[in-house]
Amino acid sequence: MAIACEGGARGGAAARWAVRLLPWAVGLLAGVLVLGPALGPGYVLRYDMVFVPDLSLGTVLRGADGFPRAIPSDAVVAVLSLVLPGDAVQSLVLLAVFAVGGAGAARLVSRAPWRAVPAGGPVAGPFAWVVGGLLAPAAAGSAYVWNPFVAERLLLGQWAVLLGYAGLPWVVGATARLATARPAAGFAGLLRALVPAAVGGFSSVALTALTAGPVALRSDGAGGAGGARRGRRGRAGAGEAVPGVRWWGRACLFALALATVSLPWLLPSLSSGADTDPAGVAAFAARSDTPFGVAGSLLLLGGVWNSGAVPAGYGEPVTASVRLLLCLVALAGWVWWLCRGRPRFGTGLSAAALLGFALALLGATGPGRELLAWLIDLWPGFGPLRDGQLYVAPLALVQALGLGAFVRWLTGHRAPRGDDASDGPGGRHGTAPPGTGSLWRVGLAVFAALLPVVVLPGLLWGAGGRLAPVHYPGEWRAAQAAVAADDRPGAVLVLPWSAYRGPDWSGRPVVVLDPATKLFDRRTLWNDDLVVGTPGGGSIVVSGEDARAHRVAQALRPDPRTGLPERLDAGTLGALGVRHVVVSAPVDNQFWSGVEDLSVVVEGPDMVLLRVDEQHVRPNKAVIPGLEVTGGLVTVGAIIWSIARSGSSLVFQRSGPSAGSGARKEIPK
Amino acid sequence: MIKVIAACVIGAVLAGGATFMATSLATDSTATAEPVNETLYNYGDR
Repeated sequence: MAIACEGGARGGAAARWAVRLLPWAVGLLAGVLVLGPALGPGYVLRYDMVFVPDLSLGTVLRGADGFPRAIPSDAVVAVLSLVLPGDAVQSLVLLAVFAVGGAGAARLVSRAPWRAVPAGGPVAGPFAWVVGGLLAPAAAGSAYVWNPFVAERLLLGQWAVLLGYAGLPWVVGATARLATARPAAGFAGLLRALVPAAVGGFSSVALTALTAGPVALRSDGAGGAGGARRGRRGRAGAGEAVPGVRWWGRACLFALALATVSLPWLLPSLSSGADTDPAGVAAFAARSDTPFGVAGSLLLLGGVWNSGAVPAGYGEPVTASVRLLLCLVALAGWVWWLCRGRPRFGTGLSAAALLGFALALLGATGPGRELLAWLIDLWPGFGPLRDGQLYVAPLALVQALGLGAFVRWLTGHRAPRGDDASDGPGGRHGTAPPGTGSLWRVGLAVFAALLPVVVLPGLLWGAGGRLAPVHYPGEWRAAQAAVAADDRPGAVLVLPWSAYRGPDWSGRPVVVLDPATKLFDRRTLWNDDLVVGTPGGGSIVVSGEDARAHRVAQALRPDPRTGLPERLDAGTLGALGVRHVVVSAPVDNQFWSGVEDLSVVVEGPDMVLLRVDEQHVRPNKAVIPGLEVTGGLVTVGAIIWSIARSGSSLVFQRSGPSAGSGARKEIPK
Repeated sequence: MIKVIAACVIGAVLAGGATFMATSLATDSTATAEPVNETLYNYGDR
């Protein structure tokens, strides 16, 4: 770190450790403040966020028909659940989102080669690194993990997407370093940075490609071999000339790294034959959740399609207006940094933010919706474009870094012009004490660093209690154990025939994907159609992808009002390969009573488990696809190689220019 | 150094006060109701 380098001579090891640990501390602190009670014992259930005790790895890998959306995120959770309780895994994953994201954004700012304050500047000398070296990264880190995008995706339960989002600053840094690192070292560093996206799955990788792809194509300050050589010499410190990687080489390395971490879901999805319903374009398009319209909401990093995922008080005119001011200040800070500092990833990240903003806006216009529907009809792989607000993530990173730059400006640090790092990252500090008249800038800098929290208080402490852990009722665990103890094959049918529940035992009304879809160690059959309500009181039904579930619906003909069949027949169920029927919500009519060859195994107010006599069951053979396992092993092997090559962990990797001879060992990334 | 720390404290206190005010505003305002359809639940409401 720039300032810490000189602090090495002055402040010693304590200052360097403070600068090194600060990014992680910011992320962790933000995580604790946001999650609060959610980190306690129990499971936080909300929309897509479903964690269950003892998630079965085999069931996750066997999966269902359609696109493998739960791969590899659920597989990683299942592996971790082998050694940790499921609720502890959930807490770790959620906390990791904030720690990794906050640290990544903070490090991008702290590693930038800022020039120090001249003597007599607002804050100089030994104080400079305190206010500039710590506050600016803290501001960037807090802004990156405390914004409407994170809040709304968290309230929507999309933890896997957030994991990919958390990794974006790391990937941007690693991609920018491709221009100056040896190809193998750069590739290994990129693979390590892609670990969060790899765990997150398809949406995370798509988001990463959008954010870092332009950075790979355009890395400022090292546009050609010469620039690369300069950068490399700076890192090696011995005048070692290393041929730089040209733009096409960087693009190839970037694409190869993305493909490598995508194998677990990419291979099965190519053979899945799944279709994507274009109706989702209208259902999941960005919407206005502030007084500033759709475009304004997206600029503020909000605009998620689901009105139930908006934090309390966010759309109020006062808080939204202050939020708008914060965004404009952050963007001004980014432009200032671009003009004065020209960070290597500047142009690429700016292009990614603009492109993402345009993509997010597409679904909000008539022609845009038609275009998206046409694209999805053309190739289902365009399906993720339906959820437009997702793509403001690069803009979130730009705004976070811009706020960090603004705080740097406030504390009097100057960004270097172009590649000018001749005075070293730390630069030369003045020795004058801070002028009294300029101390207000320090106070203002502290205020600005905390402003992301001020304008979004609805995210505090479990998002105002909306992220509260609950315990599964005893009947649920009993049903899970009973199914696990049954050695006869056959699937579990989940009723009522609707994907989402509002379980009474969750304490307060929370809409969540039925946990029964993941609770059992065998294939579950459930209605994966998505129903989205519209402002006029209507609804849009987005067809699911599970072909077997469609056959079940045709055979059972459930009542659309209750999601329950008029009657059950053991022969019909058995022909569908169903061994167990789960009724995972309170129902009025006991439609199963009196049905022959259908026995009640567990019965409670919120859970009924029925078992079909084995003579009727004709189970479908479910196997774990070899292609999926092979892809997963290749990805894991590549990540292990990249970590082994670094001889270190993510924590100690350097992401910027060497701090000089007094700095710790340089580990190429 | 003391002046710098004092400036930091003042900035933090200001931010804390502003957060408190904004929290009150957020609490007073009605949070968007959960999209609950009495029998079956939607994935969400726009």
